[in-house]
Amino acid sequence: MKISLNWLKEYVDLEGIATAEIIDKLTISGLEVEDVEEKGSGFDNIVVAYVKERKKHPNADKLSVCTVSTGDEEFNVVCGAPNVEAGQNVAFAKIGAIIPNGGFKITKAKLRGEVSMGMICSERELGISDNHQGIMVLDSSLEPGTPLKEALGLDDVVLEVAITPNRPDALSHIGVARDLAAIFNRKMTIPEVKLTECSERIEKYASVEVQDTTNCPRYTARLIKNVTIKESPSWLKKKLTSVGLRPINNIVDVTNFILYELGQPLHSFDLDRLEGQKVVVRRASDGETFTTLDSKERRLTSKDLMICDSEKPVAIAGVMGGENSEVTAETKNILLESAYFNPSSIRKTAKSLILSTDASYRFERGTDPNVTPYAADRAMQLMAELGGGEILTGTIDVYPEKIEPRTVTLRFNQIKRILGFDVDRKDVKDILLNLGLKVVSAEGQEEMTFEVPTFRPDLEREIDLIEEIARINGYDKIPAVSKISITLGGKTDQSSFRDRLRDIANGLGFYEIISNSLQSREIAQLTGKPVEMLNPLSSDMAALRTSLLPGALYAVSKNLNVGEKNLKLFEIGHIFNKLSDGEIKDFSDFSEIPGMMLLVSGKAETVKWYSKERPFDIYDLKGLVNSFLEKICLDNVLDDSYNLVENKNFEYNFTKTYKNQVVGRGGLVSKEMLRKFDISQDVYCFEFDLNLLADIPVPQKRFNGLLKFPKVLRDCAFILDTKVTGQEVVGLIYKSSSGLLKNVELFDIFESKNLGPDKRSMAFSLEYYDENRTLKDEEVDKDFNRAVEAVIKQLNAEFRGTS
Amino acid sequence: MDILQTIKETDKSFSQEIQKVQDIKSLEELRVKYLSRKGIVSTLFDDLKNVSREDKPLVGKSLNELRNSVQLRFDELKEKLESVSGKDHTLVDLSLPGRKTELGSKHILTQTLDEIKTIFKGLGFSIFEGPELESDYYNFEALNFPPDHPARDMQDTFFVNKSYLLRTHTSPVQVRLMTSQEPPVRAIMPGKVYRNEAISARSYCLFHQVEGLYVDTDVTFAELKGTLVSFARQFYGSDLKYRFRPSFFPFTEPSAEMDITCFLCHGKGCRMCKGSGWLEILGCGMVDPNVFKEVGYDPEKYTGYAFGMGIERIAILKYDIPDIRMYFENDLRFLKQF
Repeated sequence: MKISLNWLKEYVDLEGIATAEIIDKLTISGLEVEDVEEKGSGFDNIVVAYVKERKKHPNADKLSVCTVSTGDEEFNVVCGAPNVEAGQNVAFAKIGAIIPNGGFKITKAKLRGEVSMGMICSERELGISDNHQGIMVLDSSLEPGTPLKEALGLDDVVLEVAITPNRPDALSHIGVARDLAAIFNRKMTIPEVKLTECSERIEKYASVEVQDTTNCPRYTARLIKNVTIKESPSWLKKKLTSVGLRPINNIVDVTNFILYELGQPLHSFDLDRLEGQKVVVRRASDGETFTTLDSKERRLTSKDLMICDSEKPVAIAGVMGGENSEVTAETKNILLESAYFNPSSIRKTAKSLILSTDASYRFERGTDPNVTPYAADRAMQLMAELGGGEILTGTIDVYPEKIEPRTVTLRFNQIKRILGFDVDRKDVKDILLNLGLKVVSAEGQEEMTFEVPTFRPDLEREIDLIEEIARINGYDKIPAVSKISITLGGKTDQSSFRDRLRDIANGLGFYEIISNSLQSREIAQLTGKPVEMLNPLSSDMAALRTSLLPGALYAVSKNLNVGEKNLKLFEIGHIFNKLSDGEIKDFSDFSEIPGMMLLVSGKAETVKWYSKERPFDIYDLKGLVNSFLEKICLDNVLDDSYNLVENKNFEYNFTKTYKNQVVGRGGLVSKEMLRKFDISQDVYCFEFDLNLLADIPVPQKRFNGLLKFPKVLRDCAFILDTKVTGQEVVGLIYKSSSGLLKNVELFDIFESKNLGPDKRSMAFSLEYYDENRTLKDEEVDKDFNRAVEAVIKQLNAEFRGTS
Repeated sequence: MDILQTIKETDKSFSQEIQKVQDIKSLEELRVKYLSRKGIVSTLFDDLKNVSREDKPLVGKSLNELRNSVQLRFDELKEKLESVSGKDHTLVDLSLPGRKTELGSKHILTQTLDEIKTIFKGLGFSIFEGPELESDYYNFEALNFPPDHPARDMQDTFFVNKSYLLRTHTSPVQVRLMTSQEPPVRAIMPGKVYRNEAISARSYCLFHQVEGLYVDTDVTFAELKGTLVSFARQFYGSDLKYRFRPSFFPFTEPSAEMDITCFLCHGKGCRMCKGSGWLEILGCGMVDPNVFKEVGYDPEKYTGYAFGMGIERIAILKYDIPDIRMYFENDLRFLKQF
């Protein structure tokens, strides 16, 4: 909220403290100054000057030549305004001044032969008003030479202060002044109120009935008769505009003034428009409608608290008044409401109506229930001052259950226990007393009990007092310890597995992406059963991702658009799926699983002086997935399956399974899917469930010794039907061999016309060895021949030869 | 003793001839001439049988020396000639680009988090994680946000329904951790969080936080300051200035925000620090006794501190990234810069 420094100084003595220090201290004691606006900036070199003499310009009819005095100096100045006269005090811009409206700089000039050493300004030139009829004539009591910003009271500094939700008391000038009084240990003054009341009593004209005392614990009302509605005086208008409010009329302006002075929202009703001259505080009925001051019709529920007259609602309590009872130019008699509402009730109403006002903002944070009569009196006094009229004797104050100030006991040793630093006993007391607390116990050695004023609803416990002491005393006084203790015992790192996977993916050439977990329901439904948001930002972000695939495809699409066509991307992130059809009532109704996506698209090799271009294909993906698993020692533990389940997101897919459970799936992404993301090149990707992957027991590593005996290699090639898979051949070779066969490598594969249709050639390299001895040629031959024989017979192969 | 003379001459002639050798081929010819079975050196060994008995040891020694010396000089030259494959090495164009293996990289947010994790691990912190789809209880209620309290407005929330939501901060992991173990607890808790705020250059619907928590007997605000100052100096540089400002979080009391001097302008005020000279880097405070009560810790026995920082913001400041949305667009031209 905006706080005017000049206004503030009416309540706390800040004499001798620089503005910069005030701003700094406010910030470091918890009222963060976010912005500083110097009102008078731009008035440099503009001063009050006295017009000593005015002569007609010798060469121009409409110009005059004046001699102006700033006290110690005199200047010759040419002026074109018709109203300039000797004996006036004027706003004089000296050479070097920058005119606020227009921003031009005053320089020495010659106007039709006469030298002009400055300029006498109009209100428009000064940016004060639109008036450009003539020059601005200033009060004759001003001392020539006085800087204009001072003379006009424009020397204010307005602070934008961020008030945290726990500090409703600081949402006013008096509240901020109280903090400053405590920070600088200065006196503060609350304006005294003296009322002249007329002989009639309020009860003769009005009554108040509170039906819901839970949500309206206090309702205070006062009456003023025969006021004149008019424009507010300039001091009041200036105050309101300084904090960004628009002056309306004297009555509304007074209530706004009190709001910013004291933080108590007030509401003025036109008494003559209140049916039965009665105020009833009650709940609305469901579906009831009401037109607020902003001319909008609002639909209410039985949870909303209303201010009504004997017939109809006239205001939404604590939020906004109604058109039907507002103060108009014709209003004579005013009923002023100064109430305390239950914060949570006001908040519910403001939330459900999506209507936040200055009043609701304060009520929902908690106003002071015990300030309502003072606020009403202060408003009455000002209304009578500014609008005449008679204040009726007496106050209607419905307050069935007084809200008493809390008492809190502070154990002095707790200050050190929490802060690690002791605060002097006297400073503790000064701080708390300056903040408005009272001592209600004898001053003990160990502890003291304080009464907390009701304007500080945030101070409930000892810890809250310790915070007040710490912040006013200054957090900077608490030392930063230079040693910390280390807790012995095991350390956990739940992120270490995923960090390792990231390193491996990097080593394999993948770049990490992080995509938005929120996507449209239509997209999320392609890959699972999405959890949807009640209040999404937009339909594009209405559901949580059910797979990492769509996010990765968005990344592909984005990169293709910017000309990056060769992609190796990975992402690690949570995916979410609903597990039940109904509403989520428990954590078991949905799954949240960390996943990992590996994706390749574009070219595996680009044209270089040493290489030819080659697109990524499924074997790149398979190889990368296997290398990846090898690095986490799971390559021999998992099983491969191909097109195990039809999946419409893939043209073809393969899975990695562990004990028949799928831990990862991937393949060539289907054209249909790619079209949705506007992708025109092949995309291969693979997605792991990292919970399942992390749970697979990794075989314990042991050193196996180094092979001391030679390996024997035998190659063979077959012509086979194309429908015979490589895996079948390799499987059969192993099956028909002894334990001497340790490895089979498919090293060549081709199809050609010579082989005939539906035929292809596959060549394998077989590796034999024994850890304990050198193999004899004959035993390898026996093994090898058995394997070749089996392939020929069982797979209907033609043996092409050996080497 | 002609043979000794011959040995000397052979050595001399080999020396002269080998100096003229320029390529492998003539070296091979030289080998055949001197070192082959029928070569000069072998022939001299054959002549040894004609040497008298008493001269044999001397001649034998000289012959062995000759053979070794010839072999050694031959080997040295052979290695030298082969090292440029017999080619003129000025023809190797070293300016050609090498065959490169492209490595990937971690996202800049991951890299930043890694740095933070390394520092806190060194300070004795464990690392825990928690779910992003949370209950209102863990995200708000257990952290001392009463229902219908304006403190909830500080964090615009995506709701799934009235009891489930996307966590707005990583603080719920504190609650999960404390309910699962007894003090001492010292851990950081990184992860994604979500805010229902209009997307702009400065704000995105999700971002990453690191939460920190330390609970034990005798944990103080002074220790919180010491730990965070140590972190900030390791992360941002040892000469930085800092300040702690009071703030408000429902789950800490007293609460603070930590500012460091702006590293772009060194405190003079610039666009990055919006003229203040200070950059806010994290929020922190002493764990509120109400949170302890909720998780079953005795606030009279234990004290603790907690802190939280946004990783996007830290990386924005450190790397001068102009727009938070760039983190999530996954443009390779951005990713490859880090």
